[in-house]
Parts: sequence; C-alpha cells; structure tokens
Amino acid sequence: MSLFQITDLDGLHQHLRAAMQLEHATIPPYLTALYSIRPGSNIEAFDIIRAVAVEEMLHLTLVANLLNAVGGTPDLTAPGFVATYPAMLPDGEEDFAVDCQRFSREAVETFLKIERPADLDHGEDGGKTVSREAVDGAVKAGHAGAQAEEHFFSIGEFYKAIEDGLDRLHAQMGDALFSGDPARQVGPEYYYSGGGGLIKVTDMASAKAALDLIAEQGEGVTDSIFDEDGEIAHYYRFQQLVLGRYYQQGDARDMPTGGPVPVDWDAVYPIKTNARIADFPEGSDLRRAAEDFNQTYAAFLARLTRAFQGAPEEFIPAIGDMFHIKELFYRIMRQPIGEDQELHGAPTFEIDLAKEASA
Amino acid sequence: MTAPAPFSIPPQAAYATSYDVAIVGSGVSGALIAKSLGARGLKVIIVEAGPGEDVTVADYTKSVDRFYSAVSKDNNAPYAHSRNAPMPRDYDAVKLHDGQPNDRGYLVQNGPFEIDSTYSRVLGGTTRHWEAKALRMLPDDFRMQSAFGRGRDWPISYDALAPDYARAERELGVSGDVEDQGYGGLSFDDGYVYPMKRMPPSFLDKTIARDLDGFEVTLGDETFALNVRSTPQARNGIPNAAYDNGKGFKPTGAVSLHQAEMGGRCQGNTNCVPICPVQAKYDARRTLLAAVDTGQVHVLARTVASSVDIDSATGRVTGLTCKTYADKDAPGHVTGTLRAATYVLAANAVENARLMLASDLPGTARLMGRNLMDHAYLLTWGLMPQLVGTGRGPLCTSGIEDIRTGAYRSHHAAVRFSIHNDGWGWATGAPYTDLAELVDARNLTGAALRDGLRDRVGRQLLLDCMIEVLPEESNRISVDPRHLDQMGNPRPVVSFDIPDYTLETVAFSRRLTRRIYQRLGAEDHSRYDPLAPGWVTHDGEGFTVRGGNHWAGTHIMGTDARTSVVDATQRSWDHANLYLAGAGSMPSIGTANTTLTLAALCLRTADAIADAFASGTAGQPGATPREGVSA
Repeated sequence: MSLFQITDLDGLHQHLRAAMQLEHATIPPYLTALYSIRPGSNIEAFDIIRAVAVEEMLHLTLVANLLNAVGGTPDLTAPGFVATYPAMLPDGEEDFAVDCQRFSREAVETFLKIERPADLDHGEDGGKTVSREAVDGAVKAGHAGAQAEEHFFSIGEFYKAIEDGLDRLHAQMGDALFSGDPARQVGPEYYYSGGGGLIKVTDMASAKAALDLIAEQGEGVTDSIFDEDGEIAHYYRFQQLVLGRYYQQGDARDMPTGGPVPVDWDAVYPIKTNARIADFPEGSDLRRAAEDFNQTYAAFLARLTRAFQGAPEEFIPAIGDMFHIKELFYRIMRQPIGEDQELHGAPTFEIDLAKEASA
Repeated sequence: MTAPAPFSIPPQAAYATSYDVAIVGSGVSGALIAKSLGARGLKVIIVEAGPGEDVTVADYTKSVDRFYSAVSKDNNAPYAHSRNAPMPRDYDAVKLHDGQPNDRGYLVQNGPFEIDSTYSRVLGGTTRHWEAKALRMLPDDFRMQSAFGRGRDWPISYDALAPDYARAERELGVSGDVEDQGYGGLSFDDGYVYPMKRMPPSFLDKTIARDLDGFEVTLGDETFALNVRSTPQARNGIPNAAYDNGKGFKPTGAVSLHQAEMGGRCQGNTNCVPICPVQAKYDARRTLLAAVDTGQVHVLARTVASSVDIDSATGRVTGLTCKTYADKDAPGHVTGTLRAATYVLAANAVENARLMLASDLPGTARLMGRNLMDHAYLLTWGLMPQLVGTGRGPLCTSGIEDIRTGAYRSHHAAVRFSIHNDGWGWATGAPYTDLAELVDARNLTGAALRDGLRDRVGRQLLLDCMIEVLPEESNRISVDPRHLDQMGNPRPVVSFDIPDYTLETVAFSRRLTRRIYQRLGAEDHSRYDPLAPGWVTHDGEGFTVRGGNHWAGTHIMGTDARTSVVDATQRSWDHANLYLAGAGSMPSIGTANTTLTLAALCLRTADAIADAFASGTAGQPGATPREGVSA
C-alpha cells in the first residue's frame, strides 16, 4: 500500500474529471433499479432510491462547480465518460462490480457497498492506494494516478486525495487556484430539494463546503447516520431497505426505530442485467426504444455539458429530458426481450455506441 | 393506516393535558398560528377532524393514486372520505326545486343559489386541494364602504397589512414578479421581491398577450388597458437570490417524516387541483411539520370539536368538547374536553360558524354564520385558431388584473380573469369528455382519433371570470337539529343567493370575454345549461355560476361588538380568550382567493396571542373557571 498525492493543477483537473465520472457512474444503476419497480408498488423503496439518485445528480453538479472553479472544463460528452456496466468501482484491495440490474437484494447490497463509509483515520496526508492493473470497466476514480496501476483504496480515499490536493495547491498558488469564471458556477436557483442545496465554489471555504456535502451525504468519510444538518447519509438510507425500518434521530447504527419500510422484491420488472443493444432482436420496438434511449441520454449529457460550460439556463429544458428518459425507461422495461423470453429489456447506456451511430 | 406519532397523540393524553392554546383545524390558519406560538415556547394542541395521515411520501403517493383511479375527479377525490368527518363534494350540488333543501351531501343546501364549493377535512385542510394562487387584495378592497358606498370597510388598511402579506409570502413560499403587480394601487416596499421568481408564462399566455395586450375597455368614465400578467402563486419556482436583501430563499420541499428529495420546482404536470403529484405546491402540512418540529405542538387527529364550552358569567371559553373516533367510517367515539388558556377556531368559515352555532353561541350581534361570501365564477371557453400547448404548466400562470378595481365598483362588482393552461376541464370535464365525444359521436379511431384529440385538446382556452361577492346578512351558514351527521354533530346549512351587484358583473364579463375571443380569433364555445346547478339569469340572459371554494365572512371583522363578530386581531368580542381565525373574519374578498390574506391575518393573530401571554392577560393554562374572574 502506498500514498498518492495530487501535486499540480493538471492532476487536480484530472482527478475532478474522474470524480464527475464516478458520481455519474452511480446514476444508471440507481435509475435502473428505481424504474424496475412496478409503478404503484414498493413506494417506500422507490422514494429511498430516488432520493439518493437525486443527490448523486447534486454531487455531479458540485464536482462540476469545483472543476470550473479551478479553471477546468466539465465535459460529460467525452468518450468513456459513461461507464460500461458492470462498472468497476474502487473498494479496498479489489475493485467491485456494479451492475445495472433490477431492484433486488443483490442490487441493494451493491448500493450499500458503493455508499459504505470509509475509515480514514490513518492520520496521514494523501489517499491510500494499492497497486493493481486496471480491469475492464474500471472507472477513472480508481486509477486516476499518473501510473496506470495507481488505485485508490476506496471512494473516500479518492475524495480525501482531492481535498489534500486542493490544500497543497492552495498553499502554493494562493487564491490564484480559483481562476475559473464565476459565471460558470451553478447556484441553488438551479437545484433544490429536501436536502442540501448547491454551493457555488469561488474560494477555499466554498470548495471545502462542497466536498463536505458530498462526503456527508454519501461515499462518505464520516460514519454518522445523520449529518450536522440532520440529513441522513446514503448508506443508511439504503440500509433501511434491508432492515425494514426508517431511521430516526437518536437511533444507533444498524438499529433503526422509525416507521416500517415494507419491501416486495417480486413487484419488479424482470429485466436483464447489464443489457446490451445486441441482446434485443433487430427491428423490434424494444431495440428501437433502447437505441432511442441512448440517443436521448447522449443529448441530455450534451445539454448538461453546455449548462456546465456557461449556459445554466439549459438546466430548464433538461428537466423535460429527464421526463423523456423516465418514459423510455418504462417503455423498455415493460417489454420482454423476445418471444418466450422471461427477461425484459433495460436501457443499455451504450452512449459511445449511440454517438457513433449518429455521427 | 393510523397517523404516525407525533401526528396523533393518544386522545387520553391530550384530554389530560393543560395547554396554553387549543386550535381547531390543521389547515393553513391553524398551522401558521401553531408554528408561530410553538416557536415562542407555548404549548399547543391542534384538533384535526380528518385521519391525520399523509406525513410520509408513501402516504401522499397513495392519495395521488387514489385520485388517478377515481372516476369522479372532484376536489376531494384524492382523500379517503370519512363518515365520521364528512366533506362536501361538488357533485352533491344539484338543481333545487320548489324550495326543497338538498341534503344528499354533507352540506345542506337551502338555496336559492346552489353552490358547488367544497372544503377538505384532512390534515392541512383545504390547501390540500387549493390551486395556490397567492394574490394580494387591493387597497380599495379594504375600504369598500368609504370608497364606493358598498359593502364594509376593514378595521385594517392595506398598508397596515402589507408587512404581514410579506411574511405570509415567505411562509407559503410564493413565486412571482413584483414588476407584474403594478396595477390597482398595489404597492410593495422598495426593492421587495417575492421569495421565488415567477412561474414562466406558458406558450398560451404569450399567444394571448401578443393579441390582447393594450386592448382597451371602457367602464363608466374610465378606460382600462388590459395586459396579461404573471400570477403570484405558492408553488416552488426558481428561488430569487435577491430575496431578503440578497440572503435568498430556501424552498421547502415534500412533507415527509423521512427525508425525501422531492417537492422541488413545479414540473408543469397541470394537476395542481386537487393534488400536485410532486409536492411543488404549498399545502399547510409543510407549516404543520415545522410546527410539530418546535416540540411544543401536539396534533390530535380523528377528532371533531363538537362544542365550545363557555363560562356564562365571564363569557370566557372553559373548554372544547371533542369526539375522537377510531374507525373513520364505523360509528363510535370517545368524548373528551380539551383545556387551554386560549382557544382558536381555525376550521374554515363554514365549520367555525357551524361549531359556534352548534354550541348555541350566535353572538351578541347575532352575526355568527351571516355575511357568507364566496367568489362567483363565470367560466368561458373557446378554441384557439392554433395549437397552444394546452395541458402544460401549472393550472394558471397568468391572468388579466387591470380591472380589479375602479370607480365602477359603486355600481357593480370587481372581476379578474385567469388564463387556464389546463383547457376546458373545469367547464366541460375535458379532456375525458373530448375523448368520449370523438369516439362515440364522431366514430374516430386510430391515427384519426389521435390527431383529432390533439387538435381538439391542444387548442383549448378557458378564461375564468372571478367575480367579487359582498357580504349580505341573508347569505349564511346555520344549523338545524333535523340535519345531523353520523356523530350527531349538526351539519352546515347553506343559504345563499348571488347579489345583483355581482350578477351585473357576470353579464359584463360575458360581454367582455366575447370581445376577447373575437380579438384572439378563437371560436367561443361557452354555453350555460338552465338545468345545471348554479343557473342564474340577468336582464334576460342566463349563465351558470360556479363557486370558488373561498368561503368567507361568517365571523366578520369590525371595530364594534354590535356590528361584527371579531376585532382586528380575530379575537371574539364576546369571548375574551377565543379567536375565530381564517377567511370567516374577512369583511370583503375582492378578487383574490382568500388564502394569502387569511395567512397574513393569522400571523397577526399569533402575535396578538403571544403578546397576551407575555403581558399575563391570556389566563391560566386550562384553568377551571371561577365565578367573577374576568380578563
């Protein structure tokens, strides 16, 4: 095991771009599980997964603000930005696979793994890494270092490395570190919900606040159930599905005492895990819908990229895009893959493929 | 499913506790007062007649699904009807014949006008189905008698209430643009902005504005230029960073005991009434949750207040007798008495009066239940010459406000107009009725049916004319021992007629909207059925007038115990420790729905109650009465 340090601005940009990819990488699995729930059933589970997915979108935007603040350029259209599933996320000695799969015990176990709080109490600067070869599907956050084999021990370690890198560069450069155009910062007017709002990043204090919010809500480096603002961390949100109860203030870990969270694991569309366009019969409506989905999703990411690059008003039509994406999810998931098939379709998130097709 | 703690404490515990303040009703009035007093450390109990559910997103989702699956999509369709706390339903309003009252629903309708207004007896009250328009009343509305020789003056001026309007706009979370509110003498503090930016005007609004802006209307000696203006509404939009001297505004999202990332911006589902599927619309549960979070406020649900008990020597309220039921439909309840130092009836204009009259408290001025008001709505509808995107956005994003006041009010009532993004639904039951017509009458199928529906629904415009009604003592709520509900509580008996002052404007509005449709190049499809409830005639022309669910006036506010029921703080003249809160206190309703104004009034009332406690004049918590003791 070794320690990795971000020592220059390029390195910081590279890691923040990797962080955007990482935050986005959780969204397709969460949305796939979310929309695989048959409408009208599993209301509590739907609510819990939806809440986390929405906050991942918040995290994505917070990282974009960070990247813009330090003079980088967010780009969600870069080849490989959308992970290939199963995606490999960093966790300890081994990466672990994250599938796009139906709402199930296995899916929730994976979600818990994604969001498990890290133990960072090693009292040293930098992020702990292990040296391993990158595997297929590995997200960049696991292997962001200069050497291909640099591999962060956990998502928490990865964010710790970014925070330490910010500190180090700020010590060297002073406020010149925050050279980005403040007009590119996305403020709370474009995102709000029940939980924490968006933070514009213009200096060290706001940069730390943005990182803290990401850490407190999920992929955490803290392991309390509720943060200072009383908001429940993602790990514990998901754990409620396993334990069958809501957490409330004052509860001890693993022992929620709130209202019941009933789960019906069978009220779910039997979708194929990590489906591919090639799995769907040529000429079928399912295949057309899945291709349409990828085109739509690619256009959505292009719109978000414009929004992050100085045109935040693009977030307004992006809301319409998200409705369209939801409708396509259901259209695809309602359909069996073919005659005599038990499995149903699912969006494939083969975004690069869609871009090639439309190029 | 029972309501989760703390949204329903055990009735025995509530009946055994001495409270500072007991409030009847968990709607916007009661919730605002409870939140304000709870935050100041007073111990408060709220009595709610409904089941007290819907404090989780899952429960709320069940209400949305109940609405989706309901055959009759009336205002109360999302909510489970309880036989022990029944609610008025608009379909219960039928044509009255030969002076026979209609007692088929909860309201007993005595006529002569059949009113189809309703309210909700659920947690959060009628804000659970309101549309969330949040217009201020105009300065003239507060001085009807002195300015126009009509109706009554308020004991409060617009200028005096303006700071409370601003507080109410914060509590409810109003989206709007002050720039669009420069008409009719409305004034705002310099630099004031609404908490959130206005709802974006719909394509329909812009289409109408293009052809209508600047259109001149002459009324008496005055000429008004009409303009399409955005409508302020308590619906989450984009927070205005300039709000509160640049501190901005943090919107409140979905109501949930468990954390939900919901209730953000309006997504334009066009489903605001009766239920916003994403909780972007304010309802009083938001305030209620904040009230309960103070740790000082209890909610006793499934409990109907049945009498206000009075010490005959002092006139002070000694207790509130309540009936708590277990099953929402099965007969059976326990009776108890709540004790507090101060009592607030916040159960809406109809239920407040009903409860007082059921307690045999018609008041020294004999005005309890009288001066009943509601807005009279004339609906007009037409087909625009082009597709206008009907069915997108909140129900209304813009309206026409320019003739909300003028010298003409000496002769006839004020009116404002809303442009509906939801098509003809309110008037005809569209789009469901359109589908039935295209299939059954025009035999369309397949692509022709799809195209036909798009053409028919996508061009619909509904302009509603919201017309003022002034207080008249003969318009009233009363009780009658012959009409009881399952629990034995008297049901409200409504006697109502539309005054000529209002009818004159009904006819004027029809003439004006005909001209507007001509100017827009729209086909006017408005027609009124003489057999429908709400049929009225004026100068030989007939119209159907609909209610606005804006019940008001039944415990009217004034400066004198002989001519009014409550004072400017909504305190009863007759009972020193009793407040009657809500639209029932309003001496006029102008052309604004009542919620924002009653919210402003209730914030003042909370201040008055807190002041009374601070100065030691509120009395002892739940003290048993002693003869000869007075405030």
